[in-house]
Amino acid sequence: MSLNTDFMVKVAQTAIQGVPVTLQIVLVALLISLPVGCLFALIRIYRVKGLEQIVKLYVSFVRGTPIIAQILIVYSAFPSLLNMIIGKAAFSINPIYYAYIVFTLNSIATLTEVFRSALQTVDKGQMEAGLMVGMQPRQTFWRIILPQALISALPNITNATLYLIKNSSLAFIMSVKDITAIAKTEAAFNYNFLEAYLVVWIYYLIICYSAEVIFYLLERYFSKFRRSTKKTNLFNWRPLSIKQPEVRAEADLTESERTNHAQNRGLKKRL
Amino acid sequence: MLKIEGLKKGYDGNEILKGISLDVNKGDVISIIGPSGSGKTTLLRNITTLEQADGGHIQFAGVDNDFQKLNSKDIQTIRRNVGFVFQNYNLFNNKTALQNITEGLIVARKVKKREAEKIALEALERVGLSDRRNHYPSQLSGGQQQRVGIARAVALNPQVIFFDEPTSALDPELVGEVLKVMRNLADEGTTMVVVTHQMNFARNVSNKVIFMADGYIVEQGSPEDIFEHPSEKRTQEFLTDILANV
Repeated sequence: MSLNTDFMVKVAQTAIQGVPVTLQIVLVALLISLPVGCLFALIRIYRVKGLEQIVKLYVSFVRGTPIIAQILIVYSAFPSLLNMIIGKAAFSINPIYYAYIVFTLNSIATLTEVFRSALQTVDKGQMEAGLMVGMQPRQTFWRIILPQALISALPNITNATLYLIKNSSLAFIMSVKDITAIAKTEAAFNYNFLEAYLVVWIYYLIICYSAEVIFYLLERYFSKFRRSTKKTNLFNWRPLSIKQPEVRAEADLTESERTNHAQNRGLKKRL
Repeated sequence: MLKIEGLKKGYDGNEILKGISLDVNKGDVISIIGPSGSGKTTLLRNITTLEQADGGHIQFAGVDNDFQKLNSKDIQTIRRNVGFVFQNYNLFNNKTALQNITEGLIVARKVKKREAEKIALEALERVGLSDRRNHYPSQLSGGQQQRVGIARAVALNPQVIFFDEPTSALDPELVGEVLKVMRNLADEGTTMVVVTHQMNFARNVSNKVIFMADGYIVEQGSPEDIFEHPSEKRTQEFLTDILANV
């Protein structure tokens, strides 16, 4: 068996038209679900009466059902629903809007839990300190709590985004012309399925890797307050050593301060 | 200046404070000592409205009301006139040492940024940390963090500063630098209420010592009274215990 490379190049050229579609789905879903997820997390943390139960139920519904079932339900339910309201025009709506709906609803549930755990990692002493310098709870939340929570949420947001990118490939079921859908159609012409799927594979790999890099840079930029003064590089990075790396001598610290400094850092790292 | 009467607080039917009355005058340095679980920290947290007391009356900064009837304006007034130094520092982790101090000034007091930075620098100078102004809390030692914590409280120029076991979370060798800063504040006439296990501080720096046990003030008086000739048996026992361990 040999790969038909000419065909692969051809598929790659056609499937690239699907890249913006995939990115659109991901971006729309993320931009809506980030603030809404944060809001839902707050509803759960502050146990807002009535709403709390609704959010809980919503999250379990989304998490407890396969995304493919959600897609099928939205794709069959919404057009008929709209049909009752706006008539026949409902069937000519671009299916990408259904993709937006499904993936947004899905991400909201994931991100609600991401934000909930992140907000709870912020020590409650931070709020108390804010109140004791005279700030209102709301001011303390926006200026102190949320920035810290967002940073601890970033690794999980990255994770959720990567899942979202990969899940978006299921949009072909709704006849959205994304990368997967285009490649599948191409493949069906000549029965060169493996070649087409390899192209799909590479495209998703590139998109996911780029997303990973972007989030990594964001994380590095925003967590400057968590970094110790010493930078880790390839030469002093000892991932397997049990001992914590030694602290650089700082001339302006006394011996005792230095010891304490080292302990503090060690603790932070272990946490 | 600050007058508390009959302050009560309980959790799930378990009474922690059983009617505490306290008078703080301008320039006072009051040390509150006592065994753990006696309600010292709870007392500070209730006076400063971090927790809501079940009963009692407060007279402070123009507020003259029962604790249960404090409205949000009263609470804001009280909070704006006290400073609080926490046991585990509670510096804003996402702010530098300088920003930790300017935050309250700019956001709560509406001080101009430049002015706030000037005040903050002066405060850092007073605790000997002006060279660390751009360090984040994670880059400071425990003692330095607590000194920033004190500077943060001082910069707001409150009527009274509450210290909740400010040295308890520190390594023994770092306690000294924090106590030195506190002693300087006391010498400058800052009104302070300090919950502490540092008997030397209570004895040498404060002008009044309160001994608490089981939710009551058992005894209060000048440091000499409490340390030289305590009249209550409970106080004697506590002091014998704690001084034996020094």
